[in-house]
Amino acid sequence: MDTFLQVTAYGLLQGGLLALVAVGFSLVWGIMNIVNLSHGAFVILGAYIAWEIQGWLGLDPFLGMFISAAVLFCVGYIFQRFLINLIVNGPVFITLLLTFGINMILIQGMNLFFTADFRSIQTSYGSNSFEVGNIRIPLVRLLAFLLAIVITFALVAFVKHTRTGISIMATGMDRGAARLMGIRARHVYALTFGISAALAGMAGTMIATIETFDPSKAGKFTLMAFVVAVLGGLGNMYGALVGGLLMGLVQGWAGQYLSGTWVNAIAFLVLIIVLVFRPNGLVGKAFYAARVEI
Amino acid sequence: MSTLKALKSVNGFKRTLLEGLLVLVVVAGAIFFKSTLPGGELRAVSTIFMFIALSQAWNIIGGFTGYASFGQVVFFGMGGYFTAAVMLHLHFSFWLALPLSGLFGAVFAVIIGQPLLKLKGHYFAIATLGVAEGMREVVINLPDITGGGAGISVPIAGTFAKTQYLGDGGFYLLFLALALFALAVGTVVSRNKFGYGLRAIHQNEDAAAAVGINTVRSKVMAYSLSAFITGMVGASYVFQQVTIFPERLFDVEITVLMIMMVVIGGSGTVVGPLLGALGLQFISEYLREHFTNMHTFILGGIIILAVILIPQGLVNYIREGRRTKNYSLLANIRRYRL
Repeated sequence: MDTFLQVTAYGLLQGGLLALVAVGFSLVWGIMNIVNLSHGAFVILGAYIAWEIQGWLGLDPFLGMFISAAVLFCVGYIFQRFLINLIVNGPVFITLLLTFGINMILIQGMNLFFTADFRSIQTSYGSNSFEVGNIRIPLVRLLAFLLAIVITFALVAFVKHTRTGISIMATGMDRGAARLMGIRARHVYALTFGISAALAGMAGTMIATIETFDPSKAGKFTLMAFVVAVLGGLGNMYGALVGGLLMGLVQGWAGQYLSGTWVNAIAFLVLIIVLVFRPNGLVGKAFYAARVEI
Repeated sequence: MSTLKALKSVNGFKRTLLEGLLVLVVVAGAIFFKSTLPGGELRAVSTIFMFIALSQAWNIIGGFTGYASFGQVVFFGMGGYFTAAVMLHLHFSFWLALPLSGLFGAVFAVIIGQPLLKLKGHYFAIATLGVAEGMREVVINLPDITGGGAGISVPIAGTFAKTQYLGDGGFYLLFLALALFALAVGTVVSRNKFGYGLRAIHQNEDAAAAVGINTVRSKVMAYSLSAFITGMVGASYVFQQVTIFPERLFDVEITVLMIMMVVIGGSGTVVGPLLGALGLQFISEYLREHFTNMHTFILGGIIILAVILIPQGLVNYIREGRRTKNYSLLANIRRYRL
């Protein structure tokens, strides 16, 4: 029983991390109908920036995270405004190819700039953990989990209660109508992508404090974001959180009770089952999966 | 009416004759070059042939039908592992394993195609990607059959090997044959009723169903046809590489390369993927040789530029330009811009 609880707790914490990686990805997909294959590269870039900040200024990653997010917001804004906006109305593989091209450039750029060595952010409390009952909870993972929840709720509050947030939602629902109401879709799209990149930067910082990272891990994070976003579904800001927690639990349990690396196969099995039987995800809205933009 | 028909068939006959001659000349040239090229170059050209076949295969499902199969590599990997397994465990000859792996891929495509081809757009892309990633994990976790993560080796010499290793020249011819086969399939599909049905599905699936096209059957057939070719290419690749690993054989990058070649060359045409495969593989080899460090960097830049400047692909761009007398790249940028 203790093992089960421990595995469940660990799965939930891991799920929080997955949700953190996926929340920005899901936002961009839901609002702009773009599957951003460079999301993982943004995550890793955020990790490198936080790592550099800690090296130069000795800033704690939980503070450096905000600088990392700010830098990535600018990078994301520029990419969307001047590059991705040019092909936003294109067919699926055009957007996929463009973001894959960005991904290649970012990864190779980081390889040249930071080398392909494994890195991680060391903190004095990095290996701390505490026990609840008989369950061991690593401190940094718990903080990352809480951050995922805070970010999700903050995002919901942002899109519901601020003018910018409402204009983002409006553009996502009906771009033609939103533009007629005087919303600058180009700017709003760039803003959305910037927010997504900033969230990826925060996720990257958390990953850097928890485990080692290097540019080659980017693909893994993109794929995880994919799976989680689909599981949760689009059009609902809680989608990534629900999908992430579910995925974390599945991975935790499968890792404990199945031999070898079947855990990864299970993850994709869940993905395909959800896609076939509930293509709009667990809490998503069908509207966002099948719409035509003007 | 009958004169028009006769004229058309004469024109069609002339066209076929010309194309046939062109293919003969190219094949004769390729076979002639085989004896003059050194081993390394032979392998490089074999890779080009391999990607010609792969991009033609992807074009059938992605280009004609418009379903972005982002996990096409799964058929490559499964065809390859099928060949490795039957040659190692059941001592099949390669020439028997080759068509069987294509068939294996095609049957698998029929099985997964039934549910997956109901999905549209990004969802189909992700579902196929999930299948590819999932199958890689399955292969890793069945070490008795597939050798698992440690890899598997095909017997290529000695008493256990039914088929001896073909050598650089042999593989050159094998991949040339596969490329020609894929081109032939692509040409036939492009010009017959089935192919027009696929194009109709691409443009408007509901309308296609309304005019009497069995969309489900057409889609599944297109998917399994492209899987058949991909599986055979995978089988040949495995025999060429001798020792194989799941990571390489289910590499997403192979799928991405196929898609890049088709999209940049011109999807939904036969010449487009051919040009895309030739051009991209040539540029890629050149960059790898001369700018080893910056190779991926420059390739990424080329992809971004190509996708923004000629999103419809080179062949379609030239065709449209000839029809409308307008070669403006700015008009191209405006096409999909916000």
